[in-house]
Amino acid sequence: MRSFQFFRTLVLRPLRRDLVRAVLTVAAVALGVGVVMAIDLAGDAATGSFRSSLETLVGKTDLQITANGGVDEHFLPALAALPVNARFAPVMETQGVMQGVGAVTVYGVDFVAQAREQTRKAIPQDLDRAAVISSGLVRRAGVHEGDDISLALSEAARTFRVARVAEAEDTEFVLLDIAAAQQALDEYGKLDRIDVFVSQGEDFARVEREIRSVLPGSYRVEKPGTRSEENQRMLRAFRWNLRVLSYISLVVGAFLIYNTISVSVVRRRPEIGVLRALGASRRWVFWLFLAEALLFGLAGSLAGIMLGRLMAVAAVGLIGDTVNSLYVSSRPAAITVGFPAVITAMIAGTLVALASALAPAREAMGVTPVEAMARAAREHHARTHARRNLVWAVLLGALALAVAQAAPIDGKPIAGYAATLLAIAAMALAAPALITGLAAGTRNAAQALFGPEGLLAVRGLAAALARTSVIVGALATAIAMMVSVGIMVGSFRETVIVWLDTQLRADLYVRPAGRTGAGEHPALPTGVAAAVSSIPGVDAVEVFHALEMDYEGQRASLGAGDSAIVLRYGRLRFLPGEDRETILHSLANRDRVIVSEPFANKHNVHAGDILQLPIGAQTVRVTVAGIYYDYSSERGWVIFDRSTLLKYLPNQPVTNLAVYVRKGADATDVRHAVEARLANYRVVVAPNYALRQNAVTVFDRTFAITYALEGVAIAVAMLGAANSLLALVLDRRREFGLLRYLGAAPAQIRRMIVLEAGFLGVAANLLGLALGFALSLVLIYVINKQSFGWTIQFHPPLVLLAGASALVLLATILAGIFPARAAARLNPIEVIHEE
Amino acid sequence: MNPPRLELRRASKVYQTNGQKLEALHDVSLMLEPGTITALVGRSGCGKTTLLNLAGAMDFPTSGEVLISGRATSSLSEEELTALRRNRIGFVFQFFQLLPALTALENVELPLLLAGAARARDTAHERLEWVGLGEKADSFPHQLSGGQMQRAAIARALVHSPDILVADEPTGNLDNASGEQVLGLLRDAAGRFGATVLMATHSAEAAAIASTRVQMRDGRICAVERS
Repeated sequence: MRSFQFFRTLVLRPLRRDLVRAVLTVAAVALGVGVVMAIDLAGDAATGSFRSSLETLVGKTDLQITANGGVDEHFLPALAALPVNARFAPVMETQGVMQGVGAVTVYGVDFVAQAREQTRKAIPQDLDRAAVISSGLVRRAGVHEGDDISLALSEAARTFRVARVAEAEDTEFVLLDIAAAQQALDEYGKLDRIDVFVSQGEDFARVEREIRSVLPGSYRVEKPGTRSEENQRMLRAFRWNLRVLSYISLVVGAFLIYNTISVSVVRRRPEIGVLRALGASRRWVFWLFLAEALLFGLAGSLAGIMLGRLMAVAAVGLIGDTVNSLYVSSRPAAITVGFPAVITAMIAGTLVALASALAPAREAMGVTPVEAMARAAREHHARTHARRNLVWAVLLGALALAVAQAAPIDGKPIAGYAATLLAIAAMALAAPALITGLAAGTRNAAQALFGPEGLLAVRGLAAALARTSVIVGALATAIAMMVSVGIMVGSFRETVIVWLDTQLRADLYVRPAGRTGAGEHPALPTGVAAAVSSIPGVDAVEVFHALEMDYEGQRASLGAGDSAIVLRYGRLRFLPGEDRETILHSLANRDRVIVSEPFANKHNVHAGDILQLPIGAQTVRVTVAGIYYDYSSERGWVIFDRSTLLKYLPNQPVTNLAVYVRKGADATDVRHAVEARLANYRVVVAPNYALRQNAVTVFDRTFAITYALEGVAIAVAMLGAANSLLALVLDRRREFGLLRYLGAAPAQIRRMIVLEAGFLGVAANLLGLALGFALSLVLIYVINKQSFGWTIQFHPPLVLLAGASALVLLATILAGIFPARAAARLNPIEVIHEE
Repeated sequence: MNPPRLELRRASKVYQTNGQKLEALHDVSLMLEPGTITALVGRSGCGKTTLLNLAGAMDFPTSGEVLISGRATSSLSEEELTALRRNRIGFVFQFFQLLPALTALENVELPLLLAGAARARDTAHERLEWVGLGEKADSFPHQLSGGQMQRAAIARALVHSPDILVADEPTGNLDNASGEQVLGLLRDAAGRFGATVLMATHSAEAAAIASTRVQMRDGRICAVERS
């Protein structure tokens, strides 16, 4: 009870007197915690569960049999004949387009076997037209049992009848009989997987052994969660990088808590002296200020949790877009705020607040009782050892450089993250020396340009070094994040644009209509390639086959094109030292592949290495002929010549075409001719420029979440700047009162504060730009490389950076306006005669 | 005939604090001429500081008038008041009130800079030399003794050659020797610069240099002694 009384009197009441600043501090913590929480919640929701929605209908699958290129259905009788108590269900899974609804997941299952299994369910009479729809889809589509629906799978749309509605409120899918699905997809003899249901009491391990005994070694037999785990692993690097970016906002918040508690300690030194004189121990004083920090941490965290939940709604769309575009098709789940997420947020916000308050609380411990006796409230000059700190800054910077060279740990660029934190710490330690140097160096210029206000602003900064260096540190951290990510994204964008020029050489591209996510390669209708080849003006048509595969437990893409056409028309770029012509010449009809750089980095593959590729029923030994630069997918590509792939997967469907127009022919006319010829097919004919534009649009959308995170960090820093400037003003109120006595007009005092804010902004920009450039190198050459395997060429977007820096400077100056007004409004008589 | 340099006519000052009225000054009348030193003496809370603030045009009477060279301060606009402080009034405080971020020279120069005056640096140097701190021009306040700080503050108060010098307990925080030096400077200010010096003090030595000693109690003048 007594503790609460002390808390109320000695912590809450002083905060009430300084309400604006307290609210600003809590807001800064809330933003930092909120953004960390939003990224986590949105990441969980956007990546969805990856569970097959079929599970809600048929029950939990015990095992799944899959293979690169599809499972041969001829293995079904052999599996059924095994001496085990298990059921084997063939499954096709694809995306279709339902008229009036849009994209839906379509499964092909054995209706007959299912009906036998679930004895209550009748076998639909017209199996080739029957469809079972989930109740979740029924609600959206507005259809009922007995209605007809129009569903397009690869070629023209077909009509199916809703034979039954399956209870599955949370998911949307259409079930067709497997034969009907195979017919609609023109994929006879192949299944996407075989689901295995093991009867209760049966020896699970024996079932698995028996299954493996009849299947080729290239087939995978794994628990259903494995696919989900693989997907989560693939997204791990992406999500980790987003998390680390979100933590930057917390780091900025940490600077601000430190500043707030420091201000509190300085202001209340006489009060602390009185408490000590009355018998309070040093430890008691220490805990008093930690309690203040704890209050900020708790209040900020609580507000941050609510804010995070709101921000997650916006973030889930941005993250979901990226996941679908670059990684894997997923259905966003609902955002759920579980107990662990709440606890994590509370702990993060509170720990950051407590850690930030340690140093000022220790300073408070050192206040002696004699401070209560001081008649004049002398300014407490916190000693800042600018030179000593600069030495430490150099040492930490060197350590950051050394740490950045380390290899990834468990696929994560931990060393890169550590180097980033070390660099930020180095910058914070260098801030006092920079401010001192800047103040000394610009004193004359400041006075010449801005008169006495300029002189006072510059001097004021250096005099309050302990405080101003923290403001500069916080701002510079946020600016560095903006600069480093801006350079990384700008460099990446430029690299991608240059790469697009080498990659997209055809005049037209043809692909199946409908939206597809990463990892989805719907087949082109048969006959499309032949139809296009016969059009006058078409010089060459490169036929491409793409399919997903698993390699060494990770998702990757397998493709096959025409290396002769690529050689003639393309400009594929290989790693330095590899000759393009030699490599491409060596692919046709041979077990040789080229792999993309991300694939090579992920699997530690070099030119000349042998890969064991599971393809269909075989494991094929292939030689890596070369490694090429590719930015289309972080999953990585392994590319055959068509002649080789068709040897192992003879019926592998075509997924895209690249069309080259003859020299001299009118490209627009040819495009119209192609579109007219393919009018009856569900395909999209895209000219080269449209594909490039789309690629750049996808790229920009991918980084939208990153820009949002940068914006939050800057907002936190701005809140802190306004808060800290206000604190500076309140601490120097006697100085401003004196200036009024000396004949300063209120406008001059306002100008002085705004100039101080401007100088702070300049100092922060200088430090932030320097740190940002250094961090961009870590991002590009360490974190990005280790996370995703890409080589990014360094192309800093200087104009953009200059504009962004100018905006931040302007915002900092604006942050000084409220404190400037507060300073000008002070009553000089009151403040001069305060003791 | 010229009006007095500084005149208070039945000036009263009432403060409102938490709904309660506090009469800090009651019906005070005073006339001060150029080149004179007037000392306000009395216990803490007798109204000395309030009177100084009225005289220095930092505050205004609730009733009555404060006139500087015949013009009532309460009739002046904000710009006119600012100009008054820049050009005609100088302040000296008990606790020196030097700006810690500026050197001694920069502190002295400050009023001239704020006024946009020419030759600010040269004039400041001269004043600093006059108070015997020429060698300490580049020192910061924390590098000066109490006496040196107060001398620098006097130099600052006189750098713009004000008509009126308001000093609140100028020796209150100094040892005897430093106090003597400061009092000597105040005498010079009145004698050499012709300033009207109005000083609040508890010190008998300080009161002794004044040609007029005004005894105050409970916001009223109870005695005026001239020498």
